[in-house]
Amino acid sequence: MTRIRFLLQLQGLGQVGLSRFAAQHGALLQSAFCLQPNLIKNAQRQVIKHFHGSLVCAKRNSVPSAQPLNEDKKSNDSALIHADLFDHVSGTFKTKATFNKAIDVFIKSDVRRRGHVEFIYAALKKMPEFGVERDLAVYNKLLDVFPKGVFVPRNFIQRMFNHYPRQQECGVQILEQMENYGIMPNLETKVLLVQIFGEKGHPVRKYQRIMYWFPKFKELNPWPIPKDLPTDPVDLARFSLARIADDLDAQVTVYQVPHTDVTEKGEHVTLPHIVGIQSPNQIELLAKHNPDRPVFIEGPFPLWLRKTCVHYYILRADPTPADEKEECPYDPESCLAYPLALDLDLDRDMGDDETFDVEICNEGPVFAMCMTGQGDEATLNQWISGLQQKNPILGQVPVLFLLEGRTTELKISSDKESDSQNSQHEDHQTQDRRSKVEANR
Amino acid sequence: MMNICRLSVLSKFAKFGDPLVCNLRNAGKCTTPLHHRRTFKTHSRNLAYAKDLFLGQLNKDEVFPYPQIGNEELEEIKQLVAPVERFFSEEVDSAKIDQEGKIPPETMKGLKELGLFGIMVPEEYGGLGLSNTMYARLAEIISLDGSIAVTLAAHQAIGLKGILIAGNEAQKQKYLPKLASGEHVAAFCLTEPGSGSDVASMTTRATLSEDGKHYLLNGSKIWISNGGLADVMTVFAKTEVVVDGVKKEKITAFIVERAFGGITSGKAEDKLGIRGSNTCEVSFDNVPVPVENVIGEVGGGFKIAMNILNSGRFSMGSSASGMIKKLIELSSEYAATRKQFTKSLSEFGMIQEKFAGMALNAFVMESMAYLTAGMMDRPGIPDCSLEAAMVKVFSSEGGWICVSEALQVLGGLGYTKNYPYERYLRDCRILPIFEGTNEILRMYIALTGMQHAGKVLTGRIKELKRGNIGLALGMVGKKIKTSLRSSVDLGLTGKDGVVHPSLTESAKKLEENVQYFGSTVEGLLYRYGKTIVEEQLVLKKVADVMIHLYAMTAVLSRTSRSISIGLRNHDHEVLLTNTFCSEAFFKNNFWLTQLQKHAPENNDANIKKIAKEVLEKRAYICSHPLERTF
Repeated sequence: MTRIRFLLQLQGLGQVGLSRFAAQHGALLQSAFCLQPNLIKNAQRQVIKHFHGSLVCAKRNSVPSAQPLNEDKKSNDSALIHADLFDHVSGTFKTKATFNKAIDVFIKSDVRRRGHVEFIYAALKKMPEFGVERDLAVYNKLLDVFPKGVFVPRNFIQRMFNHYPRQQECGVQILEQMENYGIMPNLETKVLLVQIFGEKGHPVRKYQRIMYWFPKFKELNPWPIPKDLPTDPVDLARFSLARIADDLDAQVTVYQVPHTDVTEKGEHVTLPHIVGIQSPNQIELLAKHNPDRPVFIEGPFPLWLRKTCVHYYILRADPTPADEKEECPYDPESCLAYPLALDLDLDRDMGDDETFDVEICNEGPVFAMCMTGQGDEATLNQWISGLQQKNPILGQVPVLFLLEGRTTELKISSDKESDSQNSQHEDHQTQDRRSKVEANR
Repeated sequence: MMNICRLSVLSKFAKFGDPLVCNLRNAGKCTTPLHHRRTFKTHSRNLAYAKDLFLGQLNKDEVFPYPQIGNEELEEIKQLVAPVERFFSEEVDSAKIDQEGKIPPETMKGLKELGLFGIMVPEEYGGLGLSNTMYARLAEIISLDGSIAVTLAAHQAIGLKGILIAGNEAQKQKYLPKLASGEHVAAFCLTEPGSGSDVASMTTRATLSEDGKHYLLNGSKIWISNGGLADVMTVFAKTEVVVDGVKKEKITAFIVERAFGGITSGKAEDKLGIRGSNTCEVSFDNVPVPVENVIGEVGGGFKIAMNILNSGRFSMGSSASGMIKKLIELSSEYAATRKQFTKSLSEFGMIQEKFAGMALNAFVMESMAYLTAGMMDRPGIPDCSLEAAMVKVFSSEGGWICVSEALQVLGGLGYTKNYPYERYLRDCRILPIFEGTNEILRMYIALTGMQHAGKVLTGRIKELKRGNIGLALGMVGKKIKTSLRSSVDLGLTGKDGVVHPSLTESAKKLEENVQYFGSTVEGLLYRYGKTIVEEQLVLKKVADVMIHLYAMTAVLSRTSRSISIGLRNHDHEVLLTNTFCSEAFFKNNFWLTQLQKHAPENNDANIKKIAKEVLEKRAYICSHPLERTF
């Protein structure tokens, strides 16, 4: 590793011949790293990324938990030291303020800011722990740790070759983590990056790419989920049901507000919330349902809202068999103003038939949906009796329950609905996947 | 030579084409017996002008020469018009009617004395017994006050029309005299909260009482003009009828007197315009209606309703033209006296354009209205519902534009209540809405024609689709022929021509359009078949072309006559005709081009998509330009 340092220094001095040598060695080192067992372990999740005009391959984790490129025991050690600094400064309170304080401590400790790259990597790793991983100001402060002007290439040769690759890579890593958390850099970030790495450095390029794509992706989702979901289970159910139903006419009804009752015996009975949704079309469909055929309550089905999983139940029926379907014949006396159908023996020409050949899967109707805090039959029965007010036919129709046991995964997530709990208990891999998904939203 | 060939082909087609095609169709039908047929119109005449335009045929005998009334009638109408005109200019205070939302009793009394409550009721029942043409003439004057016009129209154009056209002698004897004198006011009750043109969802019911002497009427009707004043109403309700041993709900028309009891009228609606007319909800609660008061047959109400509505529309053309003529007088005076930059307004091109537009519109409406009225006055029971619908659509839309332009001439003054323009503007906004909205009428116009053309063309199109090379080649040949020939000849001009030679150019334009229209309709039928019902944007264009073809015919016919009999200022009519025809020619060509397959002019797919995206969210979905800063 010391050798690399030496090489990099040479490169920094802008010696062309030597830098080629360095690049070759860099590649060699690269392949050597690949053989290291701890990296092989992660190889599947890693993306190899090339900088333009550079022979030095950058290898990085695609996840917020960033790992430095030129990793060896020594720098690992120094990263550990910096991590300790964070723990030391913060003590038991892990907040934004203590995080900022740790950064300040580092900045003040050494005018030359020795080891700042390692410090930044350590800080990036620590960010989720302090709950500042979505704070733009903190990222900017972290960028501020870099000394200004030192890494700016001064001539075309420096610009051509990867000037201070370790530092540039570190700067890119900060932006990468911001990207993964869906944080959009601001003008201050740009100013800092330009001051540190110059107009055409890789971090600035990265910044430009982010600024090109992020605004386009940010509001791509036509059904956005608010960042902070309602905490009240009734409000959350209201939101989720309206989201699934996607019908502006559908009406949400709260059949039961969650509350705790005390029975005569002095026992505390917690009544779960029951929130249902039904549209006028569904009411109409249900009214037409043949009372001899049963309707089913099926569930629970999961619905993911960012990192929260909620469950819903549906009231459905089997598809109407073909022989029961009534076809209403065209009545010429149904419209006063104009014929609703022409008496012609001509069909649409094939050339003008713009419909796709779709195989229609005959599905049964869904009459209503609900969410409840407790998916047992008693609770769901209460929902059905609530539905009866608008759908008197439910009094005559047999209602069957098709309730599945919850799978483990669902149980975990339903038990802990809040974000923070989730991220603490779940292993890294799942979290990574989710945050990726989120970034894409 | 070619022309003769073509003519003979045409006549052959007219003579022998039909039975052949019918045979073909019948052969196809044998497999599906008892095909349900919609009898949407009655074939009282051998020739139909508007419908045959869909086949690219121009039945000039139907519309040329322009219909005129006899000398006796002319004298009569002149005697009638003068007092009505005087009454409206001297005794009707439209501003007051509009402000108070009520027609004063003395005005009503005057109207009754003039006999305007029974214009079309035969004289033996105490009415004036005038023809459609004369009714149209009176409507021109009556329309000077929107409230009165609507009150009278609701009374006699729809309210008592049921008794007039489908009632039996006893009913006529009993009701018509009092209605004609205005002692009783009539109303027409069809619309319900959940059912406009969609009769299937009508909920008002009439059930036969146990003794079989009465029907008990239950339900409520909304937007009933004269609902608060009417003593006699034509009410449509569902009754149980046994057809072929199966019980069915069918519509029946009843004459209901307020005196029967159980009728309540709601509060009069507060409307944008025609504020003096009374519009309200009418509820029927177990109203006993004697069985003798069924109009026509039990279960035959649908046809009656349709006939009443179809027959009442034509007069809107003359009403609108009457209004515009009045507005031209009013606003031109202002334009001539108002000075700006040392010039009077009338010297500015953009102001002149407005007046030219108003004159054109009034002229075309008038021509269409009196042509249609004249056709309706022919012996027999001519079916002019298509023509009447076209008159209504054209004049209601033209009326709105013209009133708005007249108001624009005055600028800010027109916007104030000191001048009548804003009242006219509010009043005439109802025209595109009532008596069948223009959208629905466009569907009617286009679909009726398509049905007619489809019947004739089905056999040919099927042959074509089956790959009949001979027929296909024949069509290609015909197309080449028409493209080679400089102009189409459908017989309007030339040796047997009916159009005055000074209008030859305009007539040629009409002929060319008709030919193009015919081939376009055939193409549309080939492409869409019966599914054309779903293609509303296509049908709209078809209807628009159709309306303009009819309008061109009307002005050509009228002006030809005017030149021939030497009416005063007929050179002005020639000018108007030529201007309108060339304008309509361009519009028609544009629409017809849009109707071709893959036409770049056609934006329908995009329009539908925009509407879909907006309606899905039920909001304007674009982000606000100030929403986010990059």
